[in-house]
Amino acid sequence: MTTTTSPGADTGNRKPGAASAPERRATGANFLRGTGGKLLLFAVVAGTLGAVAAATLGSGSWPAALSVDLTKPLDDVSDWIIDNRDTHPLFLYFLLHLSNTATAAVNAVYGTLVSMGALGVGVAAALVAWRAGGMGRTGLRVAATALGALAVCGLLGMWDATVLTLALMAVAVVVAAVIGALLGLGAGLSDRFDRALRPVLDTMQVLPAFAYLLPFVLIFGTGTPAALFATVIYAAPPMTRLTALGLRGAAPTVLEASASLGSSPLQRLWTARLPLARKEMFLGLNQTIMMALSMVVIAALVGAGGLGEEVYEALSTVDVGKALAAGIPIVLLAIMLDRTTGAAGEQLDAVVTDRPRLLRGWWTWAGIAVATAAAVLAGRGTGLADWPKAWTYDISQPVNVFNDSVIAQLREGLPVIGGTQVWAEHFTNWLLNPLNAGLHAMPWWLLLLLVAGFALLVGTWRTALTGVLALAAVGVMGVWPKSLNTLSQVLAGLLLTLVLGFAIGILAARVGWVERALRPLLDAMQTMPQFVYLIPVVALFAVGRSAAIIAAVVYALPAVVRITTQGLRQVDPAAMEAASSMGASGFQQLRQVQLPLARPALLLAVNQGVVLVLAVVIVGGLVGGGALGYDVVFGLSRGELGTGLVAGMAIVCLGLMLDRVTQPTAAARKDT
Amino acid sequence: MSAEKPQETVFSVRNLWKVFGPKADRIPGSAHAGLPAGELREKTGCTAAVRDVSFDVRKGEVFVVMGLSGSGKSTLVRCLTRLIEPTSGKLSIDGEDVLAMDRARLRELRRHRAAMVFQHFGLLPHRTVLDNVAYGLEIQGLGKAQRRAKAAEVVEKVGLTGMENRRPSQLSGGQQQRVGLARALAVDPEVLLFDEPFSALDPLIRRDMQEEVIRLHREEGRTMVFITHDLSEALRLGDRIALMRDGEIVQLGTPEEIVASPADDYVRDFVRDVPREQVITVRHVMRAAEGDEAETGPAITPGATVAEAIEAVARAGSPARVMDNGRCLGVVDSDLLLGVVAGTRQEEVAA
Repeated sequence: MTTTTSPGADTGNRKPGAASAPERRATGANFLRGTGGKLLLFAVVAGTLGAVAAATLGSGSWPAALSVDLTKPLDDVSDWIIDNRDTHPLFLYFLLHLSNTATAAVNAVYGTLVSMGALGVGVAAALVAWRAGGMGRTGLRVAATALGALAVCGLLGMWDATVLTLALMAVAVVVAAVIGALLGLGAGLSDRFDRALRPVLDTMQVLPAFAYLLPFVLIFGTGTPAALFATVIYAAPPMTRLTALGLRGAAPTVLEASASLGSSPLQRLWTARLPLARKEMFLGLNQTIMMALSMVVIAALVGAGGLGEEVYEALSTVDVGKALAAGIPIVLLAIMLDRTTGAAGEQLDAVVTDRPRLLRGWWTWAGIAVATAAAVLAGRGTGLADWPKAWTYDISQPVNVFNDSVIAQLREGLPVIGGTQVWAEHFTNWLLNPLNAGLHAMPWWLLLLLVAGFALLVGTWRTALTGVLALAAVGVMGVWPKSLNTLSQVLAGLLLTLVLGFAIGILAARVGWVERALRPLLDAMQTMPQFVYLIPVVALFAVGRSAAIIAAVVYALPAVVRITTQGLRQVDPAAMEAASSMGASGFQQLRQVQLPLARPALLLAVNQGVVLVLAVVIVGGLVGGGALGYDVVFGLSRGELGTGLVAGMAIVCLGLMLDRVTQPTAAARKDT
Repeated sequence: MSAEKPQETVFSVRNLWKVFGPKADRIPGSAHAGLPAGELREKTGCTAAVRDVSFDVRKGEVFVVMGLSGSGKSTLVRCLTRLIEPTSGKLSIDGEDVLAMDRARLRELRRHRAAMVFQHFGLLPHRTVLDNVAYGLEIQGLGKAQRRAKAAEVVEKVGLTGMENRRPSQLSGGQQQRVGLARALAVDPEVLLFDEPFSALDPLIRRDMQEEVIRLHREEGRTMVFITHDLSEALRLGDRIALMRDGEIVQLGTPEEIVASPADDYVRDFVRDVPREQVITVRHVMRAAEGDEAETGPAITPGATVAEAIEAVARAGSPARVMDNGRCLGVVDSDLLLGVVAGTRQEEVAA
């Protein structure tokens, strides 16, 4: 029993009696501390368990003896809910009120926006953006962005869908922000509450958007309430997290100064703590809005209507032109909302110079209200209340023509290098299929052990255990093959993401202009909802697994590139200088100094990459990704909630497993 | 500066302890109480930041608490208004027991009787200078117009006129600390507490701010408790100085007493580089007049420093007479004065 023996050789002929007892205890303790020891111990346990499992339950796919069919009972629950929705007291006195309120609120906002007319909404949005941007040059730019974005939405013939999406967003964001801020307040002020909330938020952040939809459909049926509540739950965490962060980060010196003047705790909260956290709270609001937009669009699957539904319908008939006509407004809305809230957040730091009285405080808002009212009336008078039909332009025809000619060429007809669809086929044949086949051929217990081993290498016993349990749960639920299919897509996507992301990230970290050129692109990419990434990939790669995976790669890439670049940039310059003073070449510096020192950031990039790729691979069920994502779509569209819910739970488990397995130690994770 | 004021006591501190750590309340008075810091931590896991400290702060004086970082001086000043809750001991302000105050009473104490100036200013970054200065008044519940009028007065007093509408981030460090000072002054407290207020400032600005405090003290005669790690600052400002080490007061006395007769080697080490001639007064150096010395030579007061006497002696070329109300108390000659500068002569200063 020596530390020098390799773990593999050691497992077979371990003789505990060879060393005397006290000596053994000492080396054993040392063993458990190091990674090598951990793995050695693991290999022993794993070898035994694997052998036992293989002998009793057989190898190959997940043993039937360990499966439980959940589809039937879940279908029964669903049927029961449908039968009792109108009679059971729980619904009559609670859930029905919730859903009615939700519907009423969205309808009220929608009605208001419609009665304001296109001109009224446009003027109001522009003025609010102008005010949020500080009423200066920034304000004008933001206002122009908002006005332009809305105008394009109208031009594309999507005005009504845009207004419906905005109405849903407005209600969802207000509710999510209030709930999020209150929870954040609790977590910011109470350590115990914070400790309880944190793992919940961490887990919520990992789950793909799709997984949120089904439980709400189960309870509320398809329609506005389910979409709204799913959006609220999905969008609230960033507000909570950042509110808590801001409150906790409030400068202790300021709080102490406030206390020294005899402030009561409430005064301290109101005059010092909350104002000091304004910046974080604004950032939280911004993220909440972006996540709400992302979810509202996806919620088209459960009958939310609006822009998402247009995209969804177009995608289901592979009508790229129509999908694009609905996708562009989504992107523009994202940009408008992001710019407006971003400018408002920056405005917090700006110093107020003396302004005329009419441009201060409530006077501005009153002025905006008056101007909007005037615009509404003007719109009624001139017949601009609804977006005029004559002013719309249907881009779907020309886009489809373009798609059939030029893009088709890009897909298959490029000389020598082939074309995108050809690449996608190669990708499927050479990477995806072997990976998928490999996973399916692997004995189930071996996969569990691999997951455990990998988690141990990166994380702790606890993350390994969670990962294994989550994966085992997938098997128990009886969706083992489908989950492996999804897993193979995630792994293939992750591989591509990491290769591209690390390469671009390293390049950006070392070459200044690359980083400067990339930054606005990454910013724009990170604000866009997952859904819209599906549109161009369908055009370029046709429907199928590879399209979904490539959308996932493109979606995950910005975060990976950004974290990689930041991690490399933050490497201690003194260490770099020391290396170059000893004559290290650029490559040596990178390999021997930067990459090892940036290890926590790189691990974080892997973790984020996995989570983001999974999210879009699941959504990819809409464009032929198959597997679990398709089950969810199928369950929703056919009303077979049992199938959908089982797939949803499998997605949750898969997400948990992938996150835990790649989760670096707690310290490295904190700076997300 | 104002040592001759009537000796009313503002703060009275007796056997005060502040211990951080598990079961901290068991340490004072236990067998562990006397242990050095390292051993105490090892045995009990506790750190005693303030150990068995007793002193009085007299009305109108500048009471300086001096010590190196980690000596417990900042903890001590926070105990005075219970920003940090003392572990044990007695503490009273104007005869009223501070430790027995309930929350409302304590808030009243902080709002009206003792205001604090902090090392890192603790200004609210989102408010203007004027609203920062008015903050204490806002907490007291004063109306907006009233508190702004009051704040404007104080802003003028600390020399920030014209900057009322700036944000703290637009001010220099010295200006920010003037805001901090103004905020404390605005509530018109009985005692001003300073926690290393000038440590974060440049030497030149620090000097300015010290002058400012001296001027304010001269004009208003407000009681001040001043925490510093800077000996020259302590000597310049303090009427009396309490020198702390490891949570204990090792010596308490006037600047002259501390420089002239250090209580132990630690204090001696501390004051070694102090220019003694600028602190020690001739009262403690002079000898009896011999011959006609009592009749001739330049006259100086007993409170004059040795440095001043040297100047007088050098100008006149003869010993100087120490005169008090027309009576000659003694004389100082160049030998005596040189002895002080050289440090070869031990003055008799009652501690």
